[in-house]
Amino acid sequence: MLEIKNLHVTVGGKEILKGLNLTINDGEVHAIMGPNGAGKSTLSYALCGKDGYEVTQGSITYNGKNLMDMDPNERAGEGLFLGFQYPVEIPGVSNMNFLRSALNSQRRYRGEDEIAAVDFLKLIRAKAAELDMDPEMLKRPVNVGFSGGEKKRNEMVQMAVLDPSLAVLDETDSGLDIDALKIVATGINRLRSPDKSILMITHYQRLLDYVVPDYVHILAAGQIVKTGGKELALELEEKGYMGLGITESAA
Amino acid sequence: MTQKRYFDTPQIAAGFEAVRQSLPGVESDGFDGLRGDAMSKYLDSGLPGPKVEEWKYTNLNFLANENFDIATVSPQETEIKELFEKARVKGLSGPLLVFVNGHYYKPLSTSVDQKGIKLSLLSDNIQSFRDGMAVSDGDSSLNNLNRALVTDGYHLEIAPNVEMKQPMQVIHMATSGTDMTAMRHRVQIMAGTGAKAEIIESYIGADQERYWTHGVTDVMLEQGADVTIYQFQTQGRQAIHMTELHSHVADKARFSHISLQLGAEINRTELINSFTGENADIELRGAYLGRNKQSQDIFTRINHDQPNCQSNQLYRGVLDAGGKSAFQGKVIVARDAQKTNADQSNKNLLLSRKAEANAKPELLIYADDVKCSHGTTVGELDPDQLFYLRSRGMDEVTAKGLLVEAFVAEVFDGIADENLRTAFKEKTARWLAHEVTP
Ligand SMILES: Nc1ncnc2c1ncn2[C@@H]1O[C@H](COP(=O)(O)OP(=O)(O)O)[C@@H](O)[C@H]1O
Ligand SMILES: [Mg+2]
Repeated sequence: MLEIKNLHVTVGGKEILKGLNLTINDGEVHAIMGPNGAGKSTLSYALCGKDGYEVTQGSITYNGKNLMDMDPNERAGEGLFLGFQYPVEIPGVSNMNFLRSALNSQRRYRGEDEIAAVDFLKLIRAKAAELDMDPEMLKRPVNVGFSGGEKKRNEMVQMAVLDPSLAVLDETDSGLDIDALKIVATGINRLRSPDKSILMITHYQRLLDYVVPDYVHILAAGQIVKTGGKELALELEEKGYMGLGITESAA
Repeated sequence: MTQKRYFDTPQIAAGFEAVRQSLPGVESDGFDGLRGDAMSKYLDSGLPGPKVEEWKYTNLNFLANENFDIATVSPQETEIKELFEKARVKGLSGPLLVFVNGHYYKPLSTSVDQKGIKLSLLSDNIQSFRDGMAVSDGDSSLNNLNRALVTDGYHLEIAPNVEMKQPMQVIHMATSGTDMTAMRHRVQIMAGTGAKAEIIESYIGADQERYWTHGVTDVMLEQGADVTIYQFQTQGRQAIHMTELHSHVADKARFSHISLQLGAEINRTELINSFTGENADIELRGAYLGRNKQSQDIFTRINHDQPNCQSNQLYRGVLDAGGKSAFQGKVIVARDAQKTNADQSNKNLLLSRKAEANAKPELLIYADDVKCSHGTTVGELDPDQLFYLRSRGMDEVTAKGLLVEAFVAEVFDGIADENLRTAFKEKTARWLAHEVTP
């Protein structure tokens, strides 16, 4: 269970999150929607512990552990995965090598043995196939020269291999055509299970047609201003932020 | 007050006279005379000080006072074995040539059993060395110092159209007890028309000793010859490492030098290359890594005196706290050297604010129909890349290691032999993990 209480986050001297509260129980899928600049990516980075995202007040606990005391890799070891809005290119590091190193690092953190090379190969090939990724892409440097859709697909392959218990997906659906969107939805739905939690950050209702959330929140000006079921996303689609009485600019 | 550009080292002259009678070749007049002439030349010119442009980044002033004798220790077999095992590239079956403290070491060396390949040692074939030295054109003061005091080395001749079956591994090691001693060797590689050879050169030594390794290599490539030298410089961290290489590359010949420099406190590596024919290729690639007072100074020069030749240089530097480097790459394209293709790329990665990387590319182009490029960068690890890796579970050391390995990988990725390529990558990884004599 993820519990965020009264979270205040400052970036570059500017307060972006201003008292955010959110609880996600095991097995639940939540969606966060909100206008540009509301602080959605800031929330995802603060959850993962990116440098420069300073928590000035409040708390983040996951399964009773204080995440704020942990380095990004320790949070990953605890089961957290961030699907990046803009996946990073890493020239010179193959997807394969990158994922093996990541998986083994997490296993070491949890006190487990490293995965055998053959087992890893089987695992990664299977996950790539499930998500329709050309196995040749596993040999290519991480995200280098990948199209927008390929990058997002790659995020899903990474998620499938690392098998997190809490996935935070920052606009994984942005900029995708309908086929790529369906693949991303497949990745998320495969992860969905009673012992895992998913937080989807999205701009558009359209992803929610494929991955139906249990809760929808609207984030504006650094706070969650409205919470509802999946119908809230439809209402938002129809009326817009203004129609729901939400001002876009930070107060 | 103006500083003298070159300085004197009278103690070296005295040291030379003291050992002269015990040096190889003393009974052969020609050789002793050659040593004497070289010493005079050395003393006339003196050593370059920091005011000499080419020596801006390596200050030799310490040599004005310190005295490095010729090594005379009797090394322990177990230590030799240990250093040998660390230095040797595994999985290769070619000939081995081992030098310990400046002298040929027979127990670990093997002979070259291939028709058309002749290997002789300076210590037992002065004649071939004297002939070889005559073709050597290096006339720097350090080159002359080496001529005067050289104790051993090898002369390799590959007959026309002979291809060396397996790379020859040459290991130069310095054991315990070599503190304040100098080891000087010379190498001559003569590749006949259409001959082909690969040589792996490893330098290794006791980590606690301040010894001075000083080597001069001359490589002559006849028409269509193909020679590659792979070099692992994994000297002890107090060592002074100086090597000077001269290559002469004839028509359609190809010379390649691929190095990893991660040892020594002071490293000065000079690669001076000249085309003597057309349609020839020179490729220089290297990675240099430094931290904790280590200084890696790489100086290259390519004389494009002939038309239709290609040169390609690719150097990557990684500097951590206290490490310093310089890459000085000079390319001179003569007026008649039309259709020259010369590329140079030097990128440096600083892992700490207390690291320093200097880059000085120099292109002097006197021909008008040429393609020359050079690119130099000095940067830090990309924080977004680091965060991406860490968000996937890698701790800081692992994530940085992966990025640094990727940064230098470009230097070694093209090496066809997997054992060799792996050796370069593993030694880089071990340096990153702070291992002693990686
Ligand atoms: N490094 C930064 N320095 C200063 N302001 C930033 C920085 N990164 C983001 N911001 C600001 O924080 C606000 C929230 O950004 P972000 O979390 O990316 O919004 P969203 O993802 O909801 O579109 C924006 O006003 C943005 O300009
Ligand atoms: Mg965003």
